Amino acid sequence: MLITKLKNKEELSALFEKRPFVIKCFGCKEVYFPENEVEALLKENETKITGVVRLDYLCREEFSKLYMEKYGLKIKDSGSVIVFSCGVGVQVIAKLCPEKGVFAGCDTYYLDGFQGLSVQNVNCEQCGECYLNYTGGICPITACSKSLLNGQCGGAKNGKCEVSPEMDCGWELIYKRLKGLKIEETMKGSKVLLRNYKRVIDEKKKYDYSD
Amino acid sequence: MKTIDYTKYRLKSKEDLDIALSGISGIFIVHCMKCYKEFQVVDEPECRDFQTYLKEKGIKFAGCIDQDFLCNNYLTEKKLKELPSDIETVGVISCGLGIQFVAQSLKDKRVIALADSMPQSGNATSIVGYHGIALEKEKCAACGECYLNITGGICPIVECAKGLVNGPCGGAKKGKCEIDPDTDCAWEKIYLRLKEQGRKIAEKIEIRDYGKFKFEEKKGLSVLSQAIRSESFYGGVHPLERKEDTQSIAIANFPDPQEVVIFLSQHVGSPAEVLVKVGDEVKIGQKIAKSTGLVSSSVHSSVSGRVISLKKRIHPLLLKSLPAIIIENDGLDEIDPSAKPISDWQSMSKESLAELLQDKGIVGLGGAMFPTHVKFSPPKTIDILIINGCECEPYLNADNRVMIEYYEQVGKGVEIVKKLLGVENVIVGIEDNKPEALENMRKLSNVKVESLKTKYPQGAEKMLIKKVLNREVPKGGLPLDVGVVVSNVSTIFAIYQAIFEGLPLIQRVITISGDDVVRSGNYLAKIGTPLNDIVKFCFKGSKETIFNDYHVKMGGPMMGIDQVALDSSVIKGTTGFTFLKKSATEPSEERACIKCGRCVDVCPVELEPLYYAYYGQKKMWKETIKHNIADCIECGSCEYICSSKIALLSLIKQAKKNAKKWI
Repeated sequence: MLITKLKNKEELSALFEKRPFVIKCFGCKEVYFPENEVEALLKENETKITGVVRLDYLCREEFSKLYMEKYGLKIKDSGSVIVFSCGVGVQVIAKLCPEKGVFAGCDTYYLDGFQGLSVQNVNCEQCGECYLNYTGGICPITACSKSLLNGQCGGAKNGKCEVSPEMDCGWELIYKRLKGLKIEETMKGSKVLLRNYKRVIDEKKKYDYSD
Repeated sequence: MKTIDYTKYRLKSKEDLDIALSGISGIFIVHCMKCYKEFQVVDEPECRDFQTYLKEKGIKFAGCIDQDFLCNNYLTEKKLKELPSDIETVGVISCGLGIQFVAQSLKDKRVIALADSMPQSGNATSIVGYHGIALEKEKCAACGECYLNITGGICPIVECAKGLVNGPCGGAKKGKCEIDPDTDCAWEKIYLRLKEQGRKIAEKIEIRDYGKFKFEEKKGLSVLSQAIRSESFYGGVHPLERKEDTQSIAIANFPDPQEVVIFLSQHVGSPAEVLVKVGDEVKIGQKIAKSTGLVSSSVHSSVSGRVISLKKRIHPLLLKSLPAIIIENDGLDEIDPSAKPISDWQSMSKESLAELLQDKGIVGLGGAMFPTHVKFSPPKTIDILIINGCECEPYLNADNRVMIEYYEQVGKGVEIVKKLLGVENVIVGIEDNKPEALENMRKLSNVKVESLKTKYPQGAEKMLIKKVLNREVPKGGLPLDVGVVVSNVSTIFAIYQAIFEGLPLIQRVITISGDDVVRSGNYLAKIGTPLNDIVKFCFKGSKETIFNDYHVKMGGPMMGIDQVALDSSVIKGTTGFTFLKKSATEPSEERACIKCGRCVDVCPVELEPLYYAYYGQKKMWKETIKHNIADCIECGSCEYICSSKIALLSLIKQAKKNAKKWI
């Protein structure tokens, strides 16, 4: 799930010096977007901006194009464009008006759960070779901070990860789940798993869509 | 538009399945049926392919649950309750999210992953980033320190094969990457873009901070986001409220219209029958049309003057030409002698009280206009009356202002309803974005006030009952099936006025608000006030092109009815008029669904609106019944969230109309 947060103050105030037109995407509605902070920031810089448009699903080029047509003249007269959205939205606008400086007002972060859908408490990294069959349905790639495939690193204390004490040790969860299923013995002597990073690249080629 | 298939899972290869299923004699399948791609077929073929495999291997197929969007954990968990209890092994065909959810909720069962999750179509998630919600090629790696500002809007992390942030590696030949000669060198593109814009490549050295987004922070946001989503009830949305525009503006009288247009259909049921003829003199509160049966209600004149015509006008709710009585206002404001307070209501029987309400033309003012005397004579035992003061619709403040300014009158009105229904318990539900109304209503001693989290559509009866009483209205059922009657707060105020002031329903509080509205506010308007007068009084945009440039909604932006003519008028169910500038992307009935699943995620009655788009576009109305279209409350959350901007509400209304004969 892509979410956004405002960039730091210094970087932002520099952006407002170029007579910008502002595009704010409240995009993946119902997902974290700093709408109030953006509002306050725009209020502060009211006199410096040439116009504001609030829209959604900026990542959808078909829609963004319509907006660019509607506000084309205003954008032409502006010194730059600031986009408050995830990185996808900024790139779409940058592609649609290559002659203008297009700037990002936000940094983009990732929360668990697939992009566009709601936030979840588990995650899938689409590794292309699902390991869940060996691990009782708990993903070692996303639940272990080190994405280890062959058991725990040994650094966990009281079931918590050494990288962040707030995080559960993924492998301890796996062990407990398997024990609950009475198949924890399968962990012993099982074959060493190697992640094939090339697999997703091969798949990608098979399904490569060109414009 | 060329779109991309982002379906995230694919059945494992036969060799991998052999390993996963060794030693297993029987299996039950949970199959995810929907994932990102254009909605062209209802079915996903993997499950059938897998059944063929089972047959070949001689493994018993114990059954199968087909679930759309397995990643929707609330609905998935509900669906998994249907799993037969004697099943030991469950195979899941879905992406990693779905498999993990099933494993989480079936902790005591062996859950087997039958599919691999693939980053398809050039979107290798784990390597080069995530796409947005649309099926486009631009990707974002969510690095947390956007570099696009120094690279002219071309992402070096996603587009450079090496994810370099300080310029090209030097290995590119003729603008092509050394890793893949089919790919452009991202840094060359960045250089050219910056050159075109007359900008320089930044000289500062960039160092990517992989630890910027701390686990604690991520977890905090994740918990917060999930908590907000699941507040009060499943689904729902948080649209921009814009209530602040009018919430502190006291109710004022809307200027008296020169003439009023009073429709005969101002309630659910058969239209009222005209009692006057052209040329008749009428007075305020005089009955001008009488109810014609049980489910019907009387209509009264809201001005004193002369009936000038009986003509058809465009009805603001039904949007077709319907008979109305047009009265010229003589400005004398003479009140009909029949409009006098009822002092002995406490000694009246329930039946005669109900009859009185019918005679006074009282209907539900929340918008549905169901005759109040019918609602308050329920055929089943009722133990609780809920007064709906949620007003979850954005922009509107009519109910809010009634609660702030007339709470004492509402309190007296409650006594009448308590007598009618024979109930003692009265609960008022108010969203927490109305602190003043909450405070005033809490001064009443005869009601219990519940403050509810602001989330649309909290004011829908089913949601309200679920939240306040934790009772679930059965599918296809009514609130009275669970012993509850829900009534809008303005209706209670109208009942107070009918009994204590003797005034039939001839005026109501409406909110006028929106874009390019000059005198936005809350007004006590006469029933029959023409929309034309309202536009003239409040709207500063061009009147000639109003319907081209604006949505003029009777009601709010979510459920409001788009007006088509200025000669319609305020009816009993008018909660307000909202003027909304049309945007560059308006919902359309034709656009293609990309199965993003968000409509399923927000539907408060747990339906799957994407099917209404799919079958609606094909005019296969009968199919929509299988997807429970009759349960739809038309709240508009799906259309609001739709990432393809499909005019779902309009398709749903058509489907309901066309599928009626089969329901």
